[in-house]
Amino acid sequence: MRISIIVILALIVVSPIFGVILADMVGYHEPLDVAAERLGLEDVTDLFNWTPFIDYTVPGLPATIGYIISGLIGIAMIIGLVYVFSKLTSDRL
Amino acid sequence: MHIPDGYLDLTTVFITYTIFTIYMMYTLYKLKNISYTEKTSLLAVVSAGIFAAQMLNWPIVGGTSLHFVGGALAGILLGPWLGTLSMFLVLFVQCIVFHDGGITTLGANMINMGIIDVLIGIIFYRIGEKFSGSRDFGCIIGAFLGGWLGIALAGIACGLEIGFSSQFAYGWVLATSVMGMWHLALGVIEGIITALVVAYLVKRAPELMYWGAD
Repeated sequence: MRISIIVILALIVVSPIFGVILADMVGYHEPLDVAAERLGLEDVTDLFNWTPFIDYTVPGLPATIGYIISGLIGIAMIIGLVYVFSKLTSDRL
Repeated sequence: MHIPDGYLDLTTVFITYTIFTIYMMYTLYKLKNISYTEKTSLLAVVSAGIFAAQMLNWPIVGGTSLHFVGGALAGILLGPWLGTLSMFLVLFVQCIVFHDGGITTLGANMINMGIIDVLIGIIFYRIGEKFSGSRDFGCIIGAFLGGWLGIALAGIACGLEIGFSSQFAYGWVLATSVMGMWHLALGVIEGIITALVVAYLVKRAPELMYWGAD
């Protein structure tokens, strides 16, 4: 379990290399985005946004740091939700 | 793979949410009947690990990218019900906190990555485990096929959802072909990563694996 936590934190720390730096260098999208662009679909994510952390950014922080902070926020949220779920289902989970 | 807001029309949103809601209710019903006291921390670690792995986008020559999805791995490690719950936690946080995947398309995204990918992963993993002479080898081959074909079929389902939506003018044949072919090719990487993780765990921590006891 301890190794798993170290691996997860390591993934978060190196994630900006792939999610921000290489993304900016190569200018790539997911296959769905590429296909959607060719098929003429409109992404309205930016028009109807409700979160300050859109696309794993943190307002006021550089993209790379924001990406790492976003990763930590996401993991904290998931662990919190698992805890809440386990409490709601009492001794079952 | 995360369908954003705006890609699906109201009818498709309603149908996908209905399927997702019914399946999720059944999942929670199944979990109610199972004692998973020792699996709370495993659920948290697998979910957090999949979330972290999905943040690593791998660039591919030609202007596209891929990231690990993890539905098949979640199913193999946690079983069908906790696997789906794990993917729901990941997709819910991605959608609500980071707007990665739309709120109107959460039902469709869950069908693709949280139901199809999870179930296909388990099915092929079980086939590999059952029909191989060596359990370890069978698990690894099954995990590879589950990871690979789970993504391919999730991609086809994604194409169907987009294709049937009136937002998309070219029909489902083109949408499923484009999405299916892309994910069939890129899914090989998902299969390899899934197989490597399973190979490690089968050898080093077999007690963490879901062996279908329930």
